[in-house]
Parts: sequence; structure tokens; C-alpha cells
Amino acid sequence: MISMSHHPILEVKNLSHVFPNGTMGVHHVNLQVYKGEFIIIAGANGSGKTALIRHLNGLLKPTTGDVLMAGISISSNLIEARKKIGLIFQDSDSQFVGQTVYEEVAFGPENLNLPQAEVAQIVDEVLEVVRLSAVANQSPHTLSGGQKRKLAVAGVLAMKPEIIMFDEPFTGLDYPGVVQVLQQLVALHQAGSTIILVTHELEKVLAHANRLIVMNQGQLVADGRPEDVIKTVEKHAVRMPLQQGERIESLTWLK
Amino acid sequence: MAQVTFFHYIHQETVLHRMDGRLKLGCLFVLTFSATLASGWLSFLILLSLLSCGLVVSKLPLVTLMKEMKLLAVMLIIVFLTNGFHFASRLILMMLISVLMSGTTSLTTVKNTIEWYLRPIPFIPEVRIATMINLTFVLIPMIFDNYLEMTDAQKARCVTLRKNPIRRIKWLVFPLLSRTLRRADELIYAMEARCYSETRTRATFKPTHRLDWLILALCLLALILVAWYA
Repeated sequence: MISMSHHPILEVKNLSHVFPNGTMGVHHVNLQVYKGEFIIIAGANGSGKTALIRHLNGLLKPTTGDVLMAGISISSNLIEARKKIGLIFQDSDSQFVGQTVYEEVAFGPENLNLPQAEVAQIVDEVLEVVRLSAVANQSPHTLSGGQKRKLAVAGVLAMKPEIIMFDEPFTGLDYPGVVQVLQQLVALHQAGSTIILVTHELEKVLAHANRLIVMNQGQLVADGRPEDVIKTVEKHAVRMPLQQGERIESLTWLK
Repeated sequence: MAQVTFFHYIHQETVLHRMDGRLKLGCLFVLTFSATLASGWLSFLILLSLLSCGLVVSKLPLVTLMKEMKLLAVMLIIVFLTNGFHFASRLILMMLISVLMSGTTSLTTVKNTIEWYLRPIPFIPEVRIATMINLTFVLIPMIFDNYLEMTDAQKARCVTLRKNPIRRIKWLVFPLLSRTLRRADELIYAMEARCYSETRTRATFKPTHRLDWLILALCLLALILVAWYA
């Protein structure tokens, strides 16, 4: 495991989650996240990836175990946890609340009851960062697939999170859309954000990550540097993205 | 979803788009009341002139709107033939008021205005009501999109060969309901993930201009004239 600093900013301790229908979602997972990491969580459909990240900002409550942020259980202060750990959902359309791009980004800061002038300043800044200022008055549903993902990122960035989690960010995107999202991801990581990304499409993003976690049937089955873990992924129903003799760095979709 | 302009907000930089939503809602009440009072050519012409001026000032795409109102024109003819000029003229006025108001007022302004009017009333959770209005407007196009997708998917599997309407409704309603509920669930998760709270930043309104008051005064003048001639 790669240690970016001595103390983890997020720690998952012996986490298990059983859904009401009896299905085991997550099974005895232990995990530490360090500041500045770019982590990919890979696994087949139903392997527990989404269930795991939904515990990290308290959207799901563990059946057993706990999630600690800076050593304190997130359940003791969910608002603080959700401010610091942003989650971008798989289906951007179903997470939009605002009637316009501007309102969508303002939703988070308004929930924090910030003064209107501060909300406006944050929204302007964030829209500039994701380059959506020109469409601020448009409805989110009229944007392209790539722009919708960028808007979802903007909605989370407006909360100024330390960790940003992406759930399957490339689903349904065409080539330019994937590149747009990838550029955004790399820029956020370079700006100091800690990134946790859930995907089974390793070929699109692995070149930019510095840690790869594999899940299978709710369990964390591999965790380490991408070049070490990648050899084992096919055992866990994830496609091996590398050809014989190919290096991970060569996978990048960015020119 | 099909891109329809009729009864939809169309962003433009005009005095009507910039108008304070609270006064605009006042205008809506005054104009609607005037339209219900209108009887006879003169009162109809007064309101028609005012609304026509409004439509020109608003820069709404009139040609497109006229084309989309074709179906309503059939309804108007039926109303004219069965109930006479009075009802048909009132219907025309109501339609024009609706087009003008919906075309120049964003749903957010409507939501914020309703929240503002409800704020002084005790025991009314105005933020919750405003959020519910907002979410309704978010979910309606989603449900409509889902409906179109599902009917297309069923047509592709020859559902039209099945003649029993109850079965066809069952095949459509239950999956649609279940999909809508799942999407609503996702929306709730997304709101929770961004700390949704009813103690939130209050909506503010842009400063009210003299022109906004002048527009309200014009509407009141039209009401007085219509009432006089009625």
C-alpha cells in the first residue's frame, strides 16, 4: 500500500453491510485512505463497490464496523463527513436538483446556509474551474454527457471536499466525454484532492491512479500498486486491460 | 423529451424576464381576474392589446408558439361554436397570459416567489413546500422520458398486437412506477450526499425597478377599464 502521509484521513474498520433482503453487500472490509491518493476500486457488477463508497459519506449505515474520518466515527457528524467527502453518482441525470446549471451548483452551499453573496462567489469560481460558466443559465438536462458529469463534479466541488468519490464516471460516455471527465479527474488530483474512483473499465483511468483495490462478492480481495494488483484482476471478473509487454502508463486516453 | 417551447421558460434578456417575480405574480392575478371579467369586444381588445405588447417585448419565438398552438386552435373553434364569443375570447386571453408568464418566468422564480409569499404564514413549512415544487418539476420530465422510452421498447416487441387495454396499462404502469421510485430514491441519496437541510440560504430577489411597478400599474389600469366596460 502507498502511504502518502503517516495518518489516514479516512479509515474503514471491519465494515460489513447486509441489505434488508439478506444479501451481503460488503463483508469485513478494512481500508485506509491517505491524503493525495488516487484510488481505483474495481470489481464485477454486484461486487460491493458502490455499497462500500456509500458508507464512506454515511449514505448507508454499516451493519457492523465503522468508518472513521481523522480518527472520529463519521456517524457522529454526518454533515461534516458529507462536506469533506463528496460523492458523484453514476447517473448524473438522477442527481440534478436545480433547474439551471447555476442552481445545481448552488444547491450544496445553500444547504450549508452560507450567505447568498458567498454562494454566488463559490458557484462562479467552480463553474470557471469546470469550464461551464457559458451554460450557467441552461437546464442541466440539455447538456452533453461529458458536460453533465462535469456539472456533477462542480456540484460536489462547491462543498470544498477533501476526498472526491466517483461512482462509474465513464458509463454511457462517448470518447470526447471520457476525455473531458478524465482531464477533470487528473486536474483535481494534481490540485491536491484525494480521489476514489469506482469502475470496471480500468483501461480508461488506470494510468493515472497510484493504488488499485479489487472487490469480489463484497470482500476486498486485492489492494496495492496498480502494477502489482493488475496481474490478479481477471481472477475477480475484471478485464485485464494490458496486452503482453504493455505498460500501465501507455493506457492513458489523454494526449 | 421532445423540445416544446409552449408553456416552457425561454431565457431572454428582456424587462419581463428580469421583472421581480413577486410583482409578476401580482400581474398574473390581476390579468387572470380581468380575463374572467371581460365581456364584449372592447374589454377583449384592451386585454389583447396589453398581452400582445407583452409578447412582443418578451421576444418569445411567436411563430414557433403559434405553430405549437395549432391543436388548441381546434379546441378554440369548438368552444366558439358551442359557447359563443365570450367563452372563446376568455380562453384566448387565458392562453396568452399562460404563455407570457411561463415563457418569461423561470421555475426557480416561481418557487422563490411562492416561498416568499408563504414565509409570513405561521405553521406553513415554506422551504419544504418550495423544495417539493422544485422536485416535482425535476421529476415530471424524467417520468415523461421514462414513459416514452418504455412505450418505444414495448412497441419494438409488438405490444400493439395485444388488444387488451388493461394488460397494456398494467405492463406500462407498474414498471414506470417502480422505475420512478428508484430514480426518486437516487435523487434523495444525491440530496443527502450534499447535506440537504431546510435551514438553508434564503432566496433573494433582484432589486425591484420602477418599470416593474409600472407594468403592475398597467395591468391594474387594464383591470379598471375592463371592469368599467363590463
